[in-house]
Amino acid sequence: MKTIRYGRTALLLLCAWGLASSEVRAQSQEFPVTTRTLKNGMKVLVQPDHSIPNVALYIFYRIGSRNERPGTTGLSHFFEHMMFNGAKKYGPGDLDKVMEANGGSNNAYTTQNVTVYQDWFPRSALSLIYDIESDRIRDLTFDPKKIASEREVVASERRLSVDNNNFGLLDEQLWASAFIAHTYQWPVLGWMSDIEHWTMDDLKHHFEMGYSPGNATMVVVGDVSSEEIFQLCEKYIEPIPTHAPPPPVTTVEPEQLGERRLVVHKPAELPIVMIGYHVSETNNADFYALNILRSVLFQGESSRMYQRLVDKDQLALDVSADVEPAFDPTLAIITAQPRQGVDPQACEKAIYEELEKVKGAPISDQELEKAKNNRLVEFYRQMRTINGRANTIGTYEVFMGDYHKLFDAAKSYSAVTKEDVERVAKKYFGANNRTVATLLPADEEKAKQ
Amino acid sequence: MTRARNELRLLAFLMLLFLLCPAAPGQSLRLPPHEKFVLKNGLTVLLLEKRGVPLISIFAIVKTGAAADPTGEEGLASVTAALLRKGTKNRTAQQFSADLDYIGGSFSADAGADFTAISAEFLTKDLARGLELFSDAVLHPTFPQSETDKILAQSLDGVKAAKDEPNSVLGLYYAGYLYGAHSYGRPSDGDEVSLKRIQRDAITKCYEANYAPGDTILGVAGEFDAAEMRKKLEETLGAWPARSVPNMAIPAAAPAKGKKLLLIDKPDATQTYFAIGNIGTAANDPDRVAIRVVNTIFGGRFTSELNEALRVESGYTYGASSFFDSRKAPGPFGIFSFTKNETTTPAIDLALQVLEKLHKNGVTEEQLKSAKSYIKGQFPPTIETSGQLARRIVVNEFYGLNDDEVNQLEARVDAVTPAIAKQVIEKHFPLDNLVFVLIGKASAVGPAVKKYADKVDGRSITEPGFWPPPAAPK
Repeated sequence: MKTIRYGRTALLLLCAWGLASSEVRAQSQEFPVTTRTLKNGMKVLVQPDHSIPNVALYIFYRIGSRNERPGTTGLSHFFEHMMFNGAKKYGPGDLDKVMEANGGSNNAYTTQNVTVYQDWFPRSALSLIYDIESDRIRDLTFDPKKIASEREVVASERRLSVDNNNFGLLDEQLWASAFIAHTYQWPVLGWMSDIEHWTMDDLKHHFEMGYSPGNATMVVVGDVSSEEIFQLCEKYIEPIPTHAPPPPVTTVEPEQLGERRLVVHKPAELPIVMIGYHVSETNNADFYALNILRSVLFQGESSRMYQRLVDKDQLALDVSADVEPAFDPTLAIITAQPRQGVDPQACEKAIYEELEKVKGAPISDQELEKAKNNRLVEFYRQMRTINGRANTIGTYEVFMGDYHKLFDAAKSYSAVTKEDVERVAKKYFGANNRTVATLLPADEEKAKQ
Repeated sequence: MTRARNELRLLAFLMLLFLLCPAAPGQSLRLPPHEKFVLKNGLTVLLLEKRGVPLISIFAIVKTGAAADPTGEEGLASVTAALLRKGTKNRTAQQFSADLDYIGGSFSADAGADFTAISAEFLTKDLARGLELFSDAVLHPTFPQSETDKILAQSLDGVKAAKDEPNSVLGLYYAGYLYGAHSYGRPSDGDEVSLKRIQRDAITKCYEANYAPGDTILGVAGEFDAAEMRKKLEETLGAWPARSVPNMAIPAAAPAKGKKLLLIDKPDATQTYFAIGNIGTAANDPDRVAIRVVNTIFGGRFTSELNEALRVESGYTYGASSFFDSRKAPGPFGIFSFTKNETTTPAIDLALQVLEKLHKNGVTEEQLKSAKSYIKGQFPPTIETSGQLARRIVVNEFYGLNDDEVNQLEARVDAVTPAIAKQVIEKHFPLDNLVFVLIGKASAVGPAVKKYADKVDGRSITEPGFWPPPAAPK
């Protein structure tokens, strides 16, 4: 429950390790994905699969909180909500009512990097879904009453996943401290005061900036043929004019020159420790070695960190690591929940010692092989549903620049050596490169003073 | 493992995806064929071949669950299940994890109220090793004292961690307040007091008393040859000594009368989390499909009446829903939502109005039509994977249901009329008799919420246990 996803309704979806886990050893180019780039620039990827009479349709827009500015943080996420609140043909509330009445459902999520819309429906609803999607991409409307009530909904979402969720709260503080220049520093949900103050003009500007068809990628998996999807796209999507994408995010986070530490005091039964290390963007050669490293350290009860912190020393209830898919250099976050009565710094110390071990000596052949076996199984787990495939293909296309990398990853993974793992451990997991956030139970803290 | 073989498997997998026949239009969805047999030792086995993905999913039910935990030792069945992999006749806990992780396999076991569920998954090529690991954990656990101490202490901290998130414990307080002393009211993972009472001796006795082939249903789904699988199961789980244990009886709880309210104080909460309802239905209730249709309209989807009122129209919350947790005996029904402290009573008032409206107006033809399409359209992805299929056939078997739950679903859904819906609402959706459970800042919301009930109870979230307050340890 550490990965919190902000979106329309509460759902925990892919994280970067999910992306990573779909690597597989295959040279095969037989994967039956057909692609077409529409005249307005939207790229469409289709994978027919007739095993169930359903379809998963994803639209990835390359806009997220990294494209925002101080004062209007959280706008991408708020906008995501507004995409369900009425357009020209399907007015406020119609989209959901019509979709559900035809057997479909939907959701959406926003990250620092992208805003993603998801539709799941029986094949009988196919052309209806295209009608709905084109309507809201082209002719979204902004009803002041809907804006007001949706603002309250988003505030409630924030109270759910930040104010009343200690992991969410600490995660937000960690990003805000680890980044001093780059736009990853503010929360996807936005600061509460920004949620309360953005204006209709801000929303309109955001739509114009981020919702050009050329700024989006569509993935369709399920009981369809490529031809019928392309025909629907020609009819519904292609006529929507394109325009300039969001301005590039040019700010580069300066190198971190020393450890940063922060503390949050909050009524709590148990403390939390989160340690963020600056790592490369997703589309980077180190990605594969980083994933092997993560697997060795965190995956399964035989992993080094679990063995040390949870099992042998019994310092933590749980220990895990996460990285979100990201266009820019991002954070790998290690999260541990100390056991009752355990000083959070004891958890920290054990984590650092385990990191030093992988920096000081190569991992074993067995560990390397295990990590690669896990990649294969997780690939199948992700690819066995139409939804999992739509998500994975789209995530590769958007974050790795090309869905074919789903297969090139095979080669990239077999090329990872024990020395590579040691090298990335040394490169990224040093003391100067980390930000340490600790949540301390408020009462306990008082007792200490 | 051999690399070339994996590549071939992947290629075959991708080709199959490509070649799978389209589902004929208009043909309703059916469970893939599967077979059932009983091993000599009494183990009931269900096998379902599903080609296309080289994975094998196991889902097993041991027919005794947390409802059988002795009073004061809540969590016993869960802890017993969690310890299955923590030391066996052949492996230490560490060796078990190392062997399992090496093949990328998964194994988990947990006790719910009605049964203990044990699931595992591995690649088809690792069938022999995977089955051997599964059998080792289920047949030969040794419950080492050190691992027992560890699991008990971790479970206790797990309860504390859960209390830091009101969302994750609301259901436990709700069940406790709704069911009282009935076994469905007790926390299946235990609480801060009960977990301290459990001794290793009780755990080994729990295992010996309840884990028996005659009391277990094993489902295996995925890519395998059924005849070969049967042979392999006979070689492994067939070695489990024959034994049967008496069925765990769970009496039906009487629905609560009148109105009562429990307020759990969390002084730092900026949002009130609430559950409202009464005792609902059993898994085999003859009205189950009609209930599902009506609940879809009432609180079971985004455009449900509850979510429309509390989220879409008023902005009180990020989400409002209702659920029937149907079990062996009637399980809880509840309306669930959350809202900021200031709008606590307006949101609850509105939820109650939506419930009253359901009773007063029933549902329209148009709503029914929409809900039916929704249920039918959303159903296929719930039986898409071998893991989902293994679970479904085993759970059906446990509750005495059959394949018609899937194969006749569309016909049964279509048969629901406004008149049937009306009967279902009157019979299964409470109106005058309601139990309220709230977690929130008592000093802010306490005075106002007293109006909902004649009887009001309260305690702090930091006090050990849920509801009723556990007796102090001896």
